[in-house]
Amino acid sequence: MEQYIPIAIMILIGVVAGVVFANINRFLGPHKPTEEKLSTYESGMEPVRTARERFSVKFYLVAMLFIVFDIEIVFLYPWAVVFRQLAPAGIIGMIVFLVILVIGLIYEWRKGGMDWR
Amino acid sequence: MTDRLLHDLALMVPETVLTVTIIVALVADIIFRRSRAIVPAIVMIGLTVAGIIVLGQPHESFAIFSGMLAVDPFASFFKVLILLSAILVVVFSLGFNELNANGRKVGEYYVLIAALTLGMMLMAGANNMLMMYLAIELSSISSYALSGYTREAEDASEASLKYVIYGALSSGLMLYGISMIYGLTGHFTFSEISSALPPVLEQGSTASLALMFAGLLIVAGLGYKISAVPFHFWAPDVYEGAPITITAFLSVASKAGGFALMIRFLSVSFLDSSVVTLGAGSWAVLPGFDWRSVVVALSVLTMTVGNLVAIWQNNLKRLLAYSSIAHAGYMMMGLVVLTNEGISAIMLYFVIYLFMNFGAFYIVMLIANKIGSEDIEDYRGLGSRAPFLMVALAIFLVSLTGLPPTAGFIGKLYLFVALLNSGWVWLAVVGALNSVIALYYYIRVLRNVFLRGTEQAAAPLQLGRLEGVVVVLLLVPTVLLGLYFSPLAALAQASTKMLGMP
Repeated sequence: MEQYIPIAIMILIGVVAGVVFANINRFLGPHKPTEEKLSTYESGMEPVRTARERFSVKFYLVAMLFIVFDIEIVFLYPWAVVFRQLAPAGIIGMIVFLVILVIGLIYEWRKGGMDWR
Repeated sequence: MTDRLLHDLALMVPETVLTVTIIVALVADIIFRRSRAIVPAIVMIGLTVAGIIVLGQPHESFAIFSGMLAVDPFASFFKVLILLSAILVVVFSLGFNELNANGRKVGEYYVLIAALTLGMMLMAGANNMLMMYLAIELSSISSYALSGYTREAEDASEASLKYVIYGALSSGLMLYGISMIYGLTGHFTFSEISSALPPVLEQGSTASLALMFAGLLIVAGLGYKISAVPFHFWAPDVYEGAPITITAFLSVASKAGGFALMIRFLSVSFLDSSVVTLGAGSWAVLPGFDWRSVVVALSVLTMTVGNLVAIWQNNLKRLLAYSSIAHAGYMMMGLVVLTNEGISAIMLYFVIYLFMNFGAFYIVMLIANKIGSEDIEDYRGLGSRAPFLMVALAIFLVSLTGLPPTAGFIGKLYLFVALLNSGWVWLAVVGALNSVIALYYYIRVLRNVFLRGTEQAAAPLQLGRLEGVVVVLLLVPTVLLGLYFSPLAALAQASTKMLGMP
């Protein structure tokens, strides 16, 4: 159990610091609330409204693009850690993977998937 | 390790060729925007080259990529079948009015066909539950997009959406089953599952109950792919709404991939290797999950429901959809007998089914091109307007029924002989009775064509020379294989060699 004591102390410090910093403003700062100040900041969008709303299918294209590159990163990180041991098969394999990915990107680009019309 | 990888890659060449084809075709579609012919040409070359390489592969069994995929005669047989049907579909699509109308971009259509083909080839070779899932997803996603390709037709969008929803559900079920089997055995590869199962089953009834559920869930996922009743609800709507070329492709190649996967998964994963007293070419099933009874039930249900519902159809495309459900039922009978004889009967049946089913669909497509209808009532009097096409249609439909001297008879004969040799007389009787039902609705089409005319005489339909050649190319095997079938039967028997099977 003994080796967990430092961790427990760390957790305690974290909780105390968090609670203190979150609340210290209330006592030290000036307090002049307006409606805009109290609402959550969401880049100018209304934070609370109905979720049953239609939105453009274009968002899905962006989301797909995001997933593709997200997956690329997921593959690249572990590969980068061990690529010395994988050479040369690992390097060729990753080049093939990246080329396929880039062709996908060019395809989406040329087909107008990135034009926000 | 690199040597191992190169050895594996050398056996993967057909799939690699197809992958390169997909990429090149996509790029060509972007560069040559005006040309309508270049993408189909690239896809055609890729499919042909892949087919030639598959034919040249050694007649032995290999496990490649740490057992992920199997390269064996069984897989190669189905790969050739799938590639052949893909080539036929490309040929059909070139002359399909509905697809080429309104200056529609068709580049992606052919790319998706190549992707679908790749997915089905991986299904034929999958030897690991993860690979099984990935291959099914690759082929499913391509076919969702393809079935809705003519999206301004309302039923095409409907078909696509229904397909997606059913597909998502069934692949979810299958994943659940896969995770349960992995939890029980700790293995993904089929042969390792079969060696890890006996100690698991000794633990008691809880384990075998879990195994039974897992097996049923995976069979549900695979049953969706081959449109077995009760997982068939998507099939008629998708087959009716999709472009008819895709309908033909799904009803033959997609089923071939699904069957190859189902046969391999069920027989290798649940192989009881402790039973060695059986004769050559037979095997036993592990206790715990009695998939044989499941497949018998599915088979009887599938052919009966498929045939009985087909009677009521007025749209020929939909009728052929139900008939293809029924044919999946016939073919499942071959899996029940647990012998190589049964497996080879399924494979023989698939080859014959490819020619007769593609033939029937092609003629329906040609008629739809000309009269713009697939309604059986509109086929009245076509016997005199397009005599050659209608005689060909008659031969294909008679072959689908399974009457001699067409090839369909030989396919059914081998299935029934395999059943009778293993003592499944009642199942053979059910199959034969179903063929009688099938006779009724196929002949109903022919009655409209030949015996019932229209009041006013219409002009004869013109048939292009190339179209005539394609019909003849499909007609010749349908008739010839009914008379001279021993080389094909021998080939099917030689191709039952499967990785991990005795």
